[in-house]
Amino acid sequence: MKTVEILVIGGGPAGLCAALSASALGAKVLIAERDEMPGGQLVKQTHKFFGSEKQHAGERGIHIGQMLLENAQAEPNIELWTSSCVLSIYEDGVVTIEHAGQHVKVKPERIIIATGAAEKFLGFPGNDLPGIYGAGAVQTLMNVDGVKPAQRVLMVGAGNIGLIVSYQLKQAGVEVEAVIEGSSKIGGYLVHASKIQRAGIPVLIKHTILEAYGDGQVEGAVIAQIDECWQPIAGTERKIACDTICLAVGLSPLTELAWQAGCEVAFIRELSGHVPIVNECLESTVPGIYCAGDVSGIEEASAAMVEGRLAGLCAAVSLSYGGAAAQTLIDDAKQELDELRAGSMGIHIREGLEKMALKSGQPKSEDDTLKSKSFAEIKSTLISDGIATADDIAAILPTPERFAKGPIAIAECFQEIPCNPCVKACKAGAITMPGDINDVPVVNGALCNGCGLCISLCPGLAIVVVDQTYSEDMAIVRLPYEYVPLPVVGTLATGLDREGNALGQFEVKKVTSGGKKNMTYTISLVVPKALAMDVRGVSVV
Amino acid sequence: MRIEAHPVLNFERGEKITFFYNDKEVEAYPTETIAAALHAAGVRKLGESPELHRPRGLFCAIGNCSSCFMIVDGEPNMRVCVMKVRPGIRVEEQKGKGVIRT
Repeated sequence: MKTVEILVIGGGPAGLCAALSASALGAKVLIAERDEMPGGQLVKQTHKFFGSEKQHAGERGIHIGQMLLENAQAEPNIELWTSSCVLSIYEDGVVTIEHAGQHVKVKPERIIIATGAAEKFLGFPGNDLPGIYGAGAVQTLMNVDGVKPAQRVLMVGAGNIGLIVSYQLKQAGVEVEAVIEGSSKIGGYLVHASKIQRAGIPVLIKHTILEAYGDGQVEGAVIAQIDECWQPIAGTERKIACDTICLAVGLSPLTELAWQAGCEVAFIRELSGHVPIVNECLESTVPGIYCAGDVSGIEEASAAMVEGRLAGLCAAVSLSYGGAAAQTLIDDAKQELDELRAGSMGIHIREGLEKMALKSGQPKSEDDTLKSKSFAEIKSTLISDGIATADDIAAILPTPERFAKGPIAIAECFQEIPCNPCVKACKAGAITMPGDINDVPVVNGALCNGCGLCISLCPGLAIVVVDQTYSEDMAIVRLPYEYVPLPVVGTLATGLDREGNALGQFEVKKVTSGGKKNMTYTISLVVPKALAMDVRGVSVV
Repeated sequence: MRIEAHPVLNFERGEKITFFYNDKEVEAYPTETIAAALHAAGVRKLGESPELHRPRGLFCAIGNCSSCFMIVDGEPNMRVCVMKVRPGIRVEEQKGKGVIRT
């Protein structure tokens, strides 16, 4: 039987970070990854991540995954087993793994369960037809295998996965008919919704799917509006012709191994289902077994990476590695998690963790700073469709005097999400966030020189630069662009408004690459001055 | 159909190979899973459900949900969404529960 100090189950963002932090303190770690390729869901995340620099914000998920994997492969204290499925955790602490065609027994001193989550399903007639996929499955087909999964898609669910995968489908040249969402609000980040609206993909709130139809495979769906009780409203049914229906209706933590190991598991709705109860160090009720990432509650990958790091540190410290300095690292990780969860989008997680803390016998103190924070509620229809209203824009519009002075950045970022690469991007110090990373950015017109560095560095593609001084009657709008083909300088391209409507054909003045890793282009369009605050997208097809 | 141009990704697929789907020769690339190669060839029905014999496609593509079970080289219940395609393998639609060879 093989012995190991720490066994990490799952080589996704949480597992890799757990292995890296534990091994850095000196612990010997074995990672068992079920798939042939470690990286978990990072291997298909082509979009830029949010968060702060500490969680690699602004970098694309695929690049973060590659970096974590390379670091793990270079670390002598880490042994990485791929195509190795953990089968069971026995009462005596022995773990069995299907590895290299063998049934292998491993006896670890500590276990970190980082098994992640699986996509939820939805009940409706015809939901078993070929052509109905988890949104993540379509993402795998397209971004890992390079296969066009469909021609026309209906996306069900406007959380971050539904919005992001819709955008990525568009990038792969697939038409998305609509994103439907049962709730009255968009669940994902509004910048993602704005991005797909600009691409002409409508987001329909208070809608559900009634059935999928087709002979042998999906040929379409019937959708309908729903009332306050989530019941379909008669007469609002309509058919959407599509060959694929993507379900992006949430994730379920993959807790089987935690159950099996005897960890106490509780149903906590805010954390997306049954989750193992863990303490502040992410240790479960079974001493020596830790849980990190989505397995103990569904969150963003940035949080999973920090949780992994925290669990790795705590497990290594419990084996007497790290010394006094390790405590600082642990405190840093906890603080980062608090920061990521402090915004308006972290309310669910905070409520869920509060319930978990009660169950683990470590209730949070009453003076918890997170509880006392108030959030700016988005009152306009932006919250339900991702399209900034005239009032939203008026609130951030530079003065005519400032416009007269030259180009200026306009950050159409209205929601308190944990993200701050724009602040770092601005060399002039013109973009600030008054509080923490959950605040919305403020552009200081006196300091902004309109250089446009922020355009391609904003993970939400929410910043544009407008130059009203270009000529007598024309302005230049500089926009982020992540599609193929690229517009060609000197030719005409279609300018789109915030809903994806064509506003006209405009001259492409400049096309600037964001760099080999950034991969976001900045397109300068010459538009009539009157349209400078309306043109927000560009299309060449 | 395969994605040729992409704003972020560059697919390095290697040399074309072939395998068999229901005795028909299908082209693929070694970087692809069996399910992906079949999708590229326009095949989305991978099997039939055990009782009602309804068509089955893939759902999760991460080896978790069991919807994509097929028979590969005579062995049933293979999760083709996570199994890489290899030259000459014989992939068949699985009708119902698989029968394990003895």
